[in-house]
Amino acid sequence: MTMRLSLATAALFVAGSVLADSPDPDAVAFFETKIRPVLVNECYSCHSNETGNARGGLRLDTRQLTRIGGSSGPAVVPGQPEESLLYTAITHQDFVMPPKRKLAPEVIADFRRWIETGAVDPRETEVIEIKATIGPEDIRTARETFWAYQPPAAPKLPEVRSPAWPTTEIDRFVLARLESAGMQPSADAAAAPLLRRLFFDLVGLPPTPRQLTAFESQYRSDPQQAVEDVVAYLLRQPQYGERWGRHWLDVVRYAESTGREVNMTYPHAWRYRDYVIDSFNADKPFDRFVQEQIAGDLLPAADDAQWAEQLIGTTFLALGPKNVNEQNRVQFAADLVDEQIDTTTRVFLGTSVACARCHDHKFDAIPQADYYAMAGIFGSMNTYFGNPPSSYGSFRGAQTRRNSSLLLLPVEDERPVGQRYTAAEIRAMRQQMEELQEEAAAARRNRAAGDNQSIRNFLRLQNQLAQLSAKLAVVDEQGRPRSYCMGVQEADQVEDARVLIRGEIDQPGQRVARGVPQVLATRPLEIDEDSSGRLELARWIGSDRNPLTARVMVNRIWQSMMGRALVTTTDNFGASGAEPTHPELLDYLADRFVQSGWSVKQIVADIASSRIYRASTEFDPDNHRQDPDNELLWRAHPRRLGAESIRDAMLQVSGELDLRRPAASVVAQAGYVRVRDGVLGDPREQLREQAEQIRAQAMAEARSRLARQTPAARFRSRGSTDMRSLRQEIQREVAQRLQRLAQSTRDSLQMTDAKYRSVYLPIVRDQQPRSLDVFDFADPNAVVGTRESSSTSNQALYMMNNPFVIQQSERFAARLLAEASDPEQRVELAFQLAFARSPSDGELAAALRLVNDFSTSTESPRAWSVLCQSLFAAAEFRYLD
Amino acid sequence: MFANLSRRQALQTVSAGFGFLAFSGLTTAAAGRAGAAETSSGSRNPLSTRPPHFPARAKHVIFLCMQGGPSHVDTFDYKPELTRDHGKRARYGGTLLASPWAFRQRGESGLWISDLFPEVAKHADQLCLIRSMQCDQPVHPGAMTQMHTGTAQFIRPSLGAWTLYGLGTENDSLPGFVSLSPPAGSQRNYGSAFLPAIYGGTKVGRGGRAARFAADAGPPVPDIQNPRLSKSQQRRQLDFIQSLNQDKLQRESVHPGIEGVIESYELAFRMQDAMPELMDMSGESRETLAMYGADGGATENFGKQCLLARRFVEAGVRFVEVTHGNWDQHANLSRDHQARAEACDRPIAALLADLQQRDLLKDTLVIWGGEFGRTPAAQNGDGRNHNNKGYTTWMAGGGVKGGFSYGATDEHGFEAVEDKCHIHDWHATILHLLGLDHKRLTYQYAGRDFRLTDVYGNVIEQIMA
Repeated sequence: MTMRLSLATAALFVAGSVLADSPDPDAVAFFETKIRPVLVNECYSCHSNETGNARGGLRLDTRQLTRIGGSSGPAVVPGQPEESLLYTAITHQDFVMPPKRKLAPEVIADFRRWIETGAVDPRETEVIEIKATIGPEDIRTARETFWAYQPPAAPKLPEVRSPAWPTTEIDRFVLARLESAGMQPSADAAAAPLLRRLFFDLVGLPPTPRQLTAFESQYRSDPQQAVEDVVAYLLRQPQYGERWGRHWLDVVRYAESTGREVNMTYPHAWRYRDYVIDSFNADKPFDRFVQEQIAGDLLPAADDAQWAEQLIGTTFLALGPKNVNEQNRVQFAADLVDEQIDTTTRVFLGTSVACARCHDHKFDAIPQADYYAMAGIFGSMNTYFGNPPSSYGSFRGAQTRRNSSLLLLPVEDERPVGQRYTAAEIRAMRQQMEELQEEAAAARRNRAAGDNQSIRNFLRLQNQLAQLSAKLAVVDEQGRPRSYCMGVQEADQVEDARVLIRGEIDQPGQRVARGVPQVLATRPLEIDEDSSGRLELARWIGSDRNPLTARVMVNRIWQSMMGRALVTTTDNFGASGAEPTHPELLDYLADRFVQSGWSVKQIVADIASSRIYRASTEFDPDNHRQDPDNELLWRAHPRRLGAESIRDAMLQVSGELDLRRPAASVVAQAGYVRVRDGVLGDPREQLREQAEQIRAQAMAEARSRLARQTPAARFRSRGSTDMRSLRQEIQREVAQRLQRLAQSTRDSLQMTDAKYRSVYLPIVRDQQPRSLDVFDFADPNAVVGTRESSSTSNQALYMMNNPFVIQQSERFAARLLAEASDPEQRVELAFQLAFARSPSDGELAAALRLVNDFSTSTESPRAWSVLCQSLFAAAEFRYLD
Repeated sequence: MFANLSRRQALQTVSAGFGFLAFSGLTTAAAGRAGAAETSSGSRNPLSTRPPHFPARAKHVIFLCMQGGPSHVDTFDYKPELTRDHGKRARYGGTLLASPWAFRQRGESGLWISDLFPEVAKHADQLCLIRSMQCDQPVHPGAMTQMHTGTAQFIRPSLGAWTLYGLGTENDSLPGFVSLSPPAGSQRNYGSAFLPAIYGGTKVGRGGRAARFAADAGPPVPDIQNPRLSKSQQRRQLDFIQSLNQDKLQRESVHPGIEGVIESYELAFRMQDAMPELMDMSGESRETLAMYGADGGATENFGKQCLLARRFVEAGVRFVEVTHGNWDQHANLSRDHQARAEACDRPIAALLADLQQRDLLKDTLVIWGGEFGRTPAAQNGDGRNHNNKGYTTWMAGGGVKGGFSYGATDEHGFEAVEDKCHIHDWHATILHLLGLDHKRLTYQYAGRDFRLTDVYGNVIEQIMA
């Protein structure tokens, strides 16, 4: 079914007027007498529409444009003169304005007062009302007819011709479709592949040989009970949350840095990672889980611990990719809200509302105004993602123009996370801070005079101040790290957003009441005037009052278990997305999900104990001809393991896997720093410092060498050729050492020595560890509901040559040598560990030949490690049958 | 059974996973093992050469990406009126700044090129200047991404990925799309996005700043060499791995994923020799190295990369991108633009000459350009701001007119006014030169057909030889 909207070809713009809120008359009078005349006389000639000049992109002739500012940032930030470029320009701090002279001190004082008291400004930009091309009739039609907008209802169980086959209600739906297409499901899988499937699907790890033996005998006598027992066991393991939490982290674009050009860390993002894992392990009702992530800060909490947990939930809204080097504060805020709307609606509702930022949605019945209805909700909130101010205030690096604070958790960490300092260190840092501030003030004055050296100095000092302040800010007086989290809080003021023409911040249209997309709600969301509506939004999304949340989540679960989603566009249930292959089954699962109290574990268990989950991957040419994509599930989809499972399985098989959760993350240890070239912190800075030492050292060595020479040799050395060659030698030496240094500092985020589960590896945007990246790890710059599953030569190179793989092969070999004495038993054990099966006679012989080819001794660790690596590298290791 | 599948459908990520299409020997495998009678002709290897939509003028692309925005009014867009009006108020704000470099007419064609590129200027009669470029993004990341993918808003496949998807590649021992030392954090600019990952650019060498301290440190391709096994030992090991894979395939009848793995190992095994061999320039003559300036000095780094680019193309690689960064002179234009140009002028000229003398230029489209140009008005005295409203890129070889100039900016070079070439038009034209119709080169993703040029793009026929 494709929905057609009656879309007009072009958007209509109708000029109109919108009533402004009536400001305080005294404040207006102050503006009219003290501010406006100065602006007109001193600024308009270069910065106004009237004169047609917008130097530096700045226009000062309307309130909106003044607040948006030009290429350097907003000219006026109400309440904050030091943040207002207009003020710092007339005080000759950042610019010299008006050019070449300074306004009278009393005029400057007026501006300060004006900004401090809220910068009341009646000069409205002429507001254009944007008319929608999607009318109420279109929205009503879509709401009443499009499949995804119909509330899911428990469907009638279909009749099947082979009633003996189904073991669960799920099976009835699948079988009915197959039968109506004249197909039969494949036979049950054998015990070993099935157990492997259950283990990887539920906990992301392979079964041990002992677990396999136990399962095999029970599976022979009572397959249903055997499966249910394993499922119940696995759902109790903490590894369950690590596997299922990771899927959620894909969807919510989890990462520990901002990404983009200036890649700043999020040292506290790991709390959200652990929160997600713990929530899945606790089987937190999914509706509750959703609500916490959107409005955990606003939900009632019984105690501080619960409140802390909920605050961490809202990290969801704060950890998206950000361009912290954005010059324009208003643009940054608009992009932030956009990212939040986009992620929230696609993650929970499978709807891309953000398509309507610049124009009415091209496919779905979502007019542009609906986007701005949500923008009002998210715009009435502050997002905390950066680093708190220190006692010296807030400092920005030259390239981190956009910073924000963090939330202090109501419950402190038992063991503080991050860098800690001694009292002496704190004293030294404070002293340095004060010195830097003085230097910076001087540089700032000279910079305004246009001295190039001072400009560079000022930038350097700015960065140093920011770094130092960031360190001081997150520790208490004793140098102990405080416990912060990322997240959101309500803004002081709640405000409806204006529609922006083409999404451009300087093209405001009419205001839109805060709310949710009309097509998804039969009645508008009820929002109190003084409430942002976020709590109401959270309670609406995290409920069955909308038609999508339950459907979208059970579809994700189905995909993780079965290898193909019922709606293959997992994040797009709109008109441009795919239709469900089994619509009744989708509704059945959604209804079951809600009835079970939104229990993810219940749905996982339901699917795992179904007959269709147990089906083999056996190929059938006739069925393949009829249904090449296996949409109807005439067999199980053969699947490649995810990156984490491949790495974790290698570690488990080698006996090296450490199942303990590591404390926090290496990113948390590094603190708030910029990431470059795979290094936490500035490699240039680090290299520069060390280069100086190396240079000095090489110089000293050369001098002492020269000093040790005989007087005659020294005499010869005075010749300029020798001096030159000495200099060259020093240069070479320095270059070599720098090279070694660069090599050792790079790749520090690769974590090749870590033995814990992959979900705990640091995820810095654009710097993901190779072990994950090479096997199609989800790009954390985007909502990823479905990962790629590629076969590339890069993967082959990784398996053949990567030091981690080789190291694990060696451990695996050592284990074989220790646990079995006979070569045949070793091969048997190796196959059991890696593939959960015995080798065939041919494979056994070939394996022994391989070992023999590499060493005449049957005890050679190297020869056995070649075999072990081969098993890791084989397709079977990374595929589920 | 696959006879009626379009290329796109055949390459679709289907239920069987990417392996279903990657290297899948389904034609042979399905026919032999599954007993399917009908098979399509041609290989299903996603990298194998595919015929273009119409006869191609170019077979390979070398994209010299000038990151940061080189100034067109100081290089390839001669504006005498800018010199005349130096110091005057510009219509759109600011004070006009004459170019510090003299422009001269070059070659028989008499193209005006400044003294910033004296060596490239000697090849004027091969250059096809497009002096009316426009894009939608005034800031670096956005414009850079739009130049590569057509949009800054979404993650989309790169121009190189589309090319590889459309044409496949000629050398089965090397990746088909190579990005030499791309800047850190620029993955999306050479990525495959929703296209199968095999079409994404393979990063060779490291960009970024640490690399500058240690240009030769570390292998250029990760895990390209085995630290402990000899070649023959590794072949022995690989034979065992492949026998396990073959056995498994035998048991499963049809398993495209496993076939994909088998093929990937063979390519990787070949790459282990082919890549280092290709990267090893010791066989190049002293004269060649000197010609590229790859033997030292300011041109060393970029010279090596240009030489590598030629070697890749010579070896049959479809699309090679080379980045030369830091053209963003908001200040110190006269000093830093000079330095930037000095580092790349000779290498680029050498690349053109070398391709020419090896008779590769006729099949190789060389593209030069930044994400935008710079304003004719001054910034900070001796600097210029970003300008996406009008700037210059050029092409050479690969079926474009030499000694030719297309389009024009206004008298000062602020805005394209004549024969505007939007970045979508530029993409459409590049694909056209490769024999691909930008409207037909589509891929279905998330329920709709996507293309590099979205719903835009006009092919500029006038620049074709």
